[in-house]
Amino acid sequence: MQSSLREDYLEAIQVFSEKNRHAPTIADLGTILGKGSPEVEADINELVARGEVAIAADNEVTLTARGRTISASVLKKHETLQCFLLEMLGMDALAASSEACTLEHTVSDETIDLLGEYLKKPRRVGRDIPRRGCEGPGCPSSCSPYSLLDFNEGDEVVVRCILGQSCAKRLLDLGVVPGEQVKIRRKLGNQSLVLLVKGCDVALSPEIAAAVSVERSL
Amino acid sequence: MKIALLGNPGVGKSLIFNQLTGLGVEVNRYPGSSVALETGNVCFRKDRIEVVDLPGIYSLDGNSEEETLVRSFLEEGGADAIIGVLDASKLERNLYLFTQVAEFSPRMIVVVNMADLAEREGLVLDTSALTRRLGVPVLLTAASEGRNIDRILPLALSSAMVPDLSVPYDHHIEAALRSLEKTLGTTRPKNLLALQGTGDDPLLLGAAEGIAREIEQRHMMSVRQIIATNRHNFSREIAETVISNRDGKKSFDLDSVLTRVFPGVPILCAILFLLLLSVFVIGSSMEEMIVQAFASGIIDPFNVAGFSPFIQKIGFSVLVAIEAGLGIAFPFVFTFYIGLSLLEDTGYMTRAAFLADRAMHRLGLHGEAIIPMVIGFGCTVPAVMSLRILKTRREQTIAAFLITMVPCSARTVVIAGIVAAFVGLAWAFSIYLLILVLIVLTAVILSRITPGEQFGMIVEMAPLRRPQGRLVLKKSWLRIKEFLFIAMPLLIITSIGLGLFQYFGLIDAFQELVAPVTVTLLGLPGYASTAILFGIFRKELAFETLAVLAGTANLGSVMSSVQLYTFAIVSVLFVPCISTIAVLYKQLGARIAILTSVYSVILGLLIGAIINLLIK
Repeated sequence: MQSSLREDYLEAIQVFSEKNRHAPTIADLGTILGKGSPEVEADINELVARGEVAIAADNEVTLTARGRTISASVLKKHETLQCFLLEMLGMDALAASSEACTLEHTVSDETIDLLGEYLKKPRRVGRDIPRRGCEGPGCPSSCSPYSLLDFNEGDEVVVRCILGQSCAKRLLDLGVVPGEQVKIRRKLGNQSLVLLVKGCDVALSPEIAAAVSVERSL
Repeated sequence: MKIALLGNPGVGKSLIFNQLTGLGVEVNRYPGSSVALETGNVCFRKDRIEVVDLPGIYSLDGNSEEETLVRSFLEEGGADAIIGVLDASKLERNLYLFTQVAEFSPRMIVVVNMADLAEREGLVLDTSALTRRLGVPVLLTAASEGRNIDRILPLALSSAMVPDLSVPYDHHIEAALRSLEKTLGTTRPKNLLALQGTGDDPLLLGAAEGIAREIEQRHMMSVRQIIATNRHNFSREIAETVISNRDGKKSFDLDSVLTRVFPGVPILCAILFLLLLSVFVIGSSMEEMIVQAFASGIIDPFNVAGFSPFIQKIGFSVLVAIEAGLGIAFPFVFTFYIGLSLLEDTGYMTRAAFLADRAMHRLGLHGEAIIPMVIGFGCTVPAVMSLRILKTRREQTIAAFLITMVPCSARTVVIAGIVAAFVGLAWAFSIYLLILVLIVLTAVILSRITPGEQFGMIVEMAPLRRPQGRLVLKKSWLRIKEFLFIAMPLLIITSIGLGLFQYFGLIDAFQELVAPVTVTLLGLPGYASTAILFGIFRKELAFETLAVLAGTANLGSVMSSVQLYTFAIVSVLFVPCISTIAVLYKQLGARIAILTSVYSVILGLLIGAIINLLIK
């Protein structure tokens, strides 16, 4: 199997799992990638052999730690490229996404890092294009514009980043790290809140909560 | 042999420690730190084994005193075996600390505690799988039921092993670790710490800082975040492979009542009020018994024993100091400590901190500061010691000023003995109200002028649980021991000093000297100055001395209500007692100790003068 196809599978599994709160079945993957079930099954077996995915009891295909590392890196590439095409070159969103889908498999880590760097402090080149808002983990030009304070009691959110260094340490130790899914257990009228993170309740002052940049979980 | 318990706060470490060692526990201060370290001895197969209860921590990377202590303990190989205590119901989060401990390669076993709680939540732990993943023996325990506790020591002594796992860090981090190791020859744990800016080797820190900056630019994320994320993800992966979920019983969530503004805040107020009331009621009746027994049993016989006047005076001062120390320590402070330990062990204090957070912000503090403030109602000395939980110097400074103003149990004795008894109960409450207003005003001003940045609250809510009577008593006992250790010597020394002062007839000279202030400014009788002076040594002494100097216990017959009221306010506000000044000096330095003392003198005189002017 080509590595680009392999990465597509891993990426599809991760995106599907995040959207639907459960992992995809072989049929689901067939629909996403436009392939027949027998073909998908053969490919998945190959991925299982490589130790990148596992088949759970209810026929759902889940990522192993190794698979997750790969898919995370591919997703990051995808989003950085998409951000670049969209923001800097002014392509339309759909075209940027499909273009990013092919480029993501060949681009090197180094290029992505440099591109990320460039997106942070762009030197103006070529056409003068107004910058559009660009969000998401692969788009370092901005962390999510929402903080914990923008959500309500009972909401489940995913941590994107933590702004400011001074308060970060204890939060990191308690498991409030980028990518972590947390739930707002309690929010008082005065904005103090209790966060459920890794099965533990953590009470935060409003100014700390404001430093935790989050997105609604899919 | 020496073994040490290590783990997150609230995993039941103390309970295990208590069950392993029983009584005979010592509290030591680790060299160069003010963190209390409990050690106990246990006899096992005729060997004496020393068990150390390390302070609960979330991480080994930080610079807090607790983290530094545990880190240097591990670096120095402080124990023959480490017992890593994890909470079965929060395994993933707890493994995060374990991954860090493993990097120091100590010989250890892992105790997964709270098995009962995890079972109730429907979690099933595969201990043999966990043993394989961690590379050390794993024991499942439930300390609250005493389950498997007896197997901890044999396992730790016979089969402790060096953990066999390492976190797969991001490849840039791994590369950085390798290059630091190659160029400087430093160890992996040291390099990891240095990348996060912790350590004491300037060469290593300098090199690491450069690399860290490079990595941060590439990842758009701090090295700390990268490392923490790697560790958490690794912990999650382990937890997922060893824990399976069954449906657990959903029990009623008490927090739905306790952490809402209503009825949470009224409950908080009621609990604090009940705590203070019961301390006051139990305390005053016990104090009377102790003081009477002491007076008739020891002091009276001593007075008629016929020593020379000088010896008589010194011996009497020592005895009075011991009497007063015991009269305050056991009835008031000990009762208060029991209540406080109960609140802590149920996990309620963290809820109180959460609810109080916003109000505390107005005072320039945050939720956690409610703990020293509450302790301050019992005794200012331990309250100052507990200031350590506040993270910034600014908060510690503000809280130090406020704590010295909170009416401690000794000051309650003054207010009750003078104002409630001779002026009226409502007037006694008005003093509390006045002090509250002064505290708020002081805080508002201080929060504006104290330099430093504000830091918010990040507190893990301890799970609510039923407190264990024995543990509560033991905790209170250790605290009261510490209190006596600090306060008693000072009480005895100052009491002797005062005795000599009287013996050489300096009292009258002193009263003459300060008469303009006492008589003119405050409108009090001359001898009140001596009583207030004595109050510096122990607040409740102000009341007792006043009665002695006035020549009658019926103060209402020799002083007017206004005088009594003024006297009570001045002596309550005037200079925190000598023991408080000593701990303030130890904890926060001479400057804060002097500033708080001077401030309280000025405040006391000012308020006294205002009352005198207004009402006279």
